Amino acid sequence: MSLRRPDWAPETIDVERPSVARMYDYYLGGSHNFAVDRAAARAMVAAVPQAPLMAQANRAFLRRAVQFLTDAGIRQFLDIGSGIPTVGNVHEIAQRHAPESRVVYVDIDPVAVAHSREILAGNDRTAVIQEDLRNPEQILANPDVRAMLDFSQPVAVLVVAVLHFVSDDDRPAEVLRALRSALVPGSYLVLSQASDDGRDETERAEAEEVYRRTDNPLWVRGRAELTGFFDGFELVEPGVVWVPQWRPETPESAEDAERAVFLGGVGRLGG
Amino acid sequence: MAEPPDGQPCVGVFARAWAKAVAGTSYLPMTHAQLEMLLQRLTNLLAEALRAEPLDLRVGHRVANELVAAHIASAEALGRTVEVIQLRLVRDLDLVADDIEDRLARLLGAVATGYARALRDRTLDEQESIRRAAMTARAEAEQALRASEARFRHQATHDPLTDLPNRTLFAERLAAAVTGSAGSGRRVGLCFLDLDRFKRVNDSFGHQIGDRALVAAARRLRRAVEPHLVARLGGDAFVVLVERSTGTGDVVAVAEAALAALSEPVVVDGHDVTVTASVGIVERRVVGTSPDDLMRAAGSTLLWAKAAGGAGWALYDAERDSREQARQELSAAIPAGLERGEFFLDYQPLTSLHDGSVLGVEALVRWRHPRLGVLRPDSFIGLAEETGLIVQLGGWVLAEACREAVGWTSASGQPPYVSVNLAVRQVRRPGLVQEVRALLRRTGLPPNRLQLEITESTMMTTSEEPVRALRALAALGIRIAIDDFGTGYSNLAYLRDLPVTELKVAGEFVRGLRTPDALADERILASLVSLAHALDLTVTAEGVETGGQAERLRAIGCDAGQGWHFGRPAPPDHILARIR
Ligand SMILES: C[S@@+](CC[C@H](N)C(=O)[O-])C[C@H]1O[C@@H](n2cnc3c(N)ncnc32)[C@H](O)[C@@H]1O
Repeated sequence: MSLRRPDWAPETIDVERPSVARMYDYYLGGSHNFAVDRAAARAMVAAVPQAPLMAQANRAFLRRAVQFLTDAGIRQFLDIGSGIPTVGNVHEIAQRHAPESRVVYVDIDPVAVAHSREILAGNDRTAVIQEDLRNPEQILANPDVRAMLDFSQPVAVLVVAVLHFVSDDDRPAEVLRALRSALVPGSYLVLSQASDDGRDETERAEAEEVYRRTDNPLWVRGRAELTGFFDGFELVEPGVVWVPQWRPETPESAEDAERAVFLGGVGRLGG
Repeated sequence: MAEPPDGQPCVGVFARAWAKAVAGTSYLPMTHAQLEMLLQRLTNLLAEALRAEPLDLRVGHRVANELVAAHIASAEALGRTVEVIQLRLVRDLDLVADDIEDRLARLLGAVATGYARALRDRTLDEQESIRRAAMTARAEAEQALRASEARFRHQATHDPLTDLPNRTLFAERLAAAVTGSAGSGRRVGLCFLDLDRFKRVNDSFGHQIGDRALVAAARRLRRAVEPHLVARLGGDAFVVLVERSTGTGDVVAVAEAALAALSEPVVVDGHDVTVTASVGIVERRVVGTSPDDLMRAAGSTLLWAKAAGGAGWALYDAERDSREQARQELSAAIPAGLERGEFFLDYQPLTSLHDGSVLGVEALVRWRHPRLGVLRPDSFIGLAEETGLIVQLGGWVLAEACREAVGWTSASGQPPYVSVNLAVRQVRRPGLVQEVRALLRRTGLPPNRLQLEITESTMMTTSEEPVRALRALAALGIRIAIDDFGTGYSNLAYLRDLPVTELKVAGEFVRGLRTPDALADERILASLVSLAHALDLTVTAEGVETGGQAERLRAIGCDAGQGWHFGRPAPPDHILARIR
């Protein structure tokens, strides 16, 4: 444990306040959540009825992206904003096909981190750290990260369903640039985030209202902005799309894709 | 019961329908193909169960468990599953039996029961694990907070250079030691320690090496005085707290251990840095003392140890302390005393040994202290000299003497001069000459009726300033006398170059004249007088107490005398009465 004074005091580990990590677990059908989380999630569902579908579509995108990366030979993953390890975690997907794969999970939520530690105890190819995406240097300098990942080899950085919790004031483009600068060619970046493209204005306002109760207010963005975040990477086909459209397993599963609200894409560091 | 020729296609149709029904009910961590494969296997299990005799309801539970284990685990998924089995299983698989409706209902009941149970178990498990995670997170955060608080507390209570406890922590511990055990007859001791001339280490080796020497000294100290608390108060000052002392000896032993530990030279960066230290020791009963008292006493005692040359300890002495404190208070009261007019002058005649006339009078300052009564100069002039207040006080004496003397008239013509002592600091101060000149102008006192008495040590200086000032004063016509001659270096050579008019020979020599066979003193005096006369100086003998002494002095050729024999110091009107 770092000796730095934690920015999170014990009172922030507060099951009286909804956590986006546990709300997300609820959307996915998990029970790793408390009454406050469920209340907030239900309020979200009242405002945006397809919220659980959005979460499922995003999680499925994550699964397909990791599968794609594993097939592309990637064996190292840095999953930032990894959440509560519910079902279909990155290491489960990657290690099924390539058991030597190494995964570091990073989350800002101390409960999510504690839960991850418990789930992953005994898996010596994974590590969990509590860090803030907005401090990329701290993440990269973290000894556990350094011990698990070899940055002289390609690494896939996953920032999936997290960027909408990072406001423009926190300079997400600079954060991603800092992460990119640690990567060697052949590395990948996976991004997804909630989008406001073609969204109903009142629905969005209500969703934002719900998330204001959490520690992570929403900051939705459009396709152009998300594409801009891949600066320095070459987008793999089909680029930044509604997540169900990203390499769907069956043609039907890509139908009504914009209902998923999430945009996502995968970029490869060339050169 | 008829077996279909090839069950697989039918199973596949049903499994696809089933997969479609449950897809989207919750997140399923698998591809659609994987989902269909799983459900096909479960369909086969169900089909076998429906065909088998007797009906094994455990198959229903098993299917339910597998569904939930594969994360097909939601109320919606159960509803859809029941629905699709009820509607399609028998038809799609072409199952025929008389009691097939009955068997299906019972098997479906088992599936639903098993599913509900598995789902509940899973929910409870997940609730338990997230609760445990929340507890762990909270405990970790609290521990981190405690650790950081402990670190903050350490930082706030320790010196960053040496990591010794700092003044704050020391003050806490001392307060606890003193107040915590009041009335118990307990004793407490302090060693206030300061490195001797440590500034020199910094000056000659630089601060970096100085700091490292301090760190080394601190480490030794800590080891030497263990288990007692040693704190760094700042700079090169340390203090050791000896709790539960059994007597002075305990604390002296601690001080000696500290001194011994420090006496070994430290090698810093190849330099041999030798430091010695001084220690002020206080040891007393806890009852009736306070942290402030103890610290003040230890501080004064440290100064005694330093004044005694350093490299040693001194033990607190209440009498000496109160004496010094009284002196301190006295000196602090001088400015207010001047303001309130508490000082006044007495005068003592300087009488001619030739004709008994009063040649001059020496102004002697007194202090009518509101509490202590009238004080003579020996109880406060030394203090005033130490503190520098002598400049103010001496200035007042000079002005007052001139003011009073200007009105004196003598029946015999020439009124006596007034003789005023000038302290070293006064002579060295620039502006003395202007001050005296302005004073004479203001009062109208003729310069030749003012005599300034300086001591030999005033002249023992390499600086030209005082000599130049005295020349200027002499040039105005003011008399310059060397006071207490014979007690200092008595270097006669400089008298040649100085504008001195008179020597005042110290009373010690005169006292010797009391015994009839004090030949040595008499000879010294005689040669002094003839030497002075050779240099054109007059000689006044101080401390003349008897007629016999006066007689001898006259015989030697001494010019004037001062002392009880000729008159004690007295208020100005007494003197005036004598000269009229
Ligand atoms: C919606 S979940 C996404 C989980 C997972 N990446 C996925 O897509 O399935 C978002 C997670 O991001 C975390 N998060 C939010 N802001 C973060 C930040 N600044 N740094 C790190 N994690 C953050 C939240 O605690 C939450 O666990």
